[in-house]
Amino acid sequence: MLPQRLKKTITDNPKKLANLIDLVNLPSPVREFVGQSQISRLGCFMRVWSYIKENNLQDPNNKNLVNCDEKLKSILLGKSRVELAELPALIKLHFPKVPKSAT
Amino acid sequence: MGKVPPSFRPAISNSLTRKFPLETPIPNHIPEKITRKKPPHHSRKPEASLASGKAETLFKSPELSSAKKVFNYIVATTKSSIDLRFHNTLLRSYASISTLHDSISLLHHMLKTQPLFSPDRSTYPSCSPNPVTTDIAIRSLCEVGRIDHAVELVKELSLKQSPPDTYTFNFLVKNLCKCRTLSTVYGFIDDMKSSFDIKPDLEVIEVYKKMKEEGVEPDLVTYNTLIFGLSKSGRRRECIGCSCFVGEMERKGCTPNSCTYNTLLHGLCKCRLMEKGMELYGAMKSAGMKLETASYATLVRALCREGRVAEAYDVFDYAVESKSLTDVAAYSTLEVTLKWLKKARQQGLAV
Repeated sequence: MLPQRLKKTITDNPKKLANLIDLVNLPSPVREFVGQSQISRLGCFMRVWSYIKENNLQDPNNKNLVNCDEKLKSILLGKSRVELAELPALIKLHFPKVPKSAT
Repeated sequence: MGKVPPSFRPAISNSLTRKFPLETPIPNHIPEKITRKKPPHHSRKPEASLASGKAETLFKSPELSSAKKVFNYIVATTKSSIDLRFHNTLLRSYASISTLHDSISLLHHMLKTQPLFSPDRSTYPSCSPNPVTTDIAIRSLCEVGRIDHAVELVKELSLKQSPPDTYTFNFLVKNLCKCRTLSTVYGFIDDMKSSFDIKPDLEVIEVYKKMKEEGVEPDLVTYNTLIFGLSKSGRRRECIGCSCFVGEMERKGCTPNSCTYNTLLHGLCKCRLMEKGMELYGAMKSAGMKLETASYATLVRALCREGRVAEAYDVFDYAVESKSLTDVAAYSTLEVTLKWLKKARQQGLAV
């Protein structure tokens, strides 16, 4: 029994779903980071998040914060500290915005 | 007492050609409106239909006792079986000349004497049902042992925007407990809650306890339904009560299943009992239990609301790893929640 607002998340909206999982040709910084020429937004997020975990980039005092290393900085707007809460939004910036008039 | 819906009146023009057993003369005005509803399930009873047309003139006095006499007379003398519409029309005509209270009493009387009479929605337009009406009707039905009809009626009335109040509801639940298995009872409660948003009191818990005293053993389904109902209410006391249930279930050897845990988790998060919620989540995680979409979403949201974003990410990880949800679903819930969090923080609703 999903609350109404969450139902609108993804399953009802094929455009949003596509936006999340379609493979996209990437600008170079991201391409370097993931080592692939194409990736979906979802895939990119998963990669970044596991990168953070593997390299223990979370601040030990406050796990909600991430101390970015050079590689990460290159794709997260050069920020040295990033909040976990912002992560999806930052990654989204790399992905082309689907113009509303399309399709 | 408003207008009579056309569906209420049977189409009786055909039946006028038949012979009528009663001696009193046929009334002048004959309802002409044809029913808009689909034809009744039972076959037409011409005499009865005619009788209902007659009902208009039968109640000469608003007095209840004479009304009852008239009713009894009709019942006794009409040879064919009497259908619902007859009762309805009678009631309606009586209601138009008497007080609401008296017509309710007449209804009560009808219920007692006519085992086949099952009031439905159409009985009530005559006396625009309010909680009192409903209550009396339900009680009468229960008294004569027709619990199933009472349940039906409650559901119908709820559909019609006149749901029973707490007293009625609890009364009905008590009666249900007396003569039905507990799972039915809680199924009913659950129905009412989800469809009509009627919340049982903790009184229901009392009833449940009484049942146990009388030796009726609840099973897994019962417990699940109970926990589901209570946790959906979003009230703290009930949620804490739920956690006790889980303990009890285990003691009785009735192992709670994934559904139980998920529902409970959902409830705890809604009530912001995060400590207990996280405890439960920890238990589920170590048992490798899968999360359901609803409990996952609620948990993530509750954690974010408290600023525990890293833990929310952990839950996301667990959901993906245990394949409780698809990557897409898990991620998009997380993303949406974080978006919500940003706004909520601006409004001061979250940490």
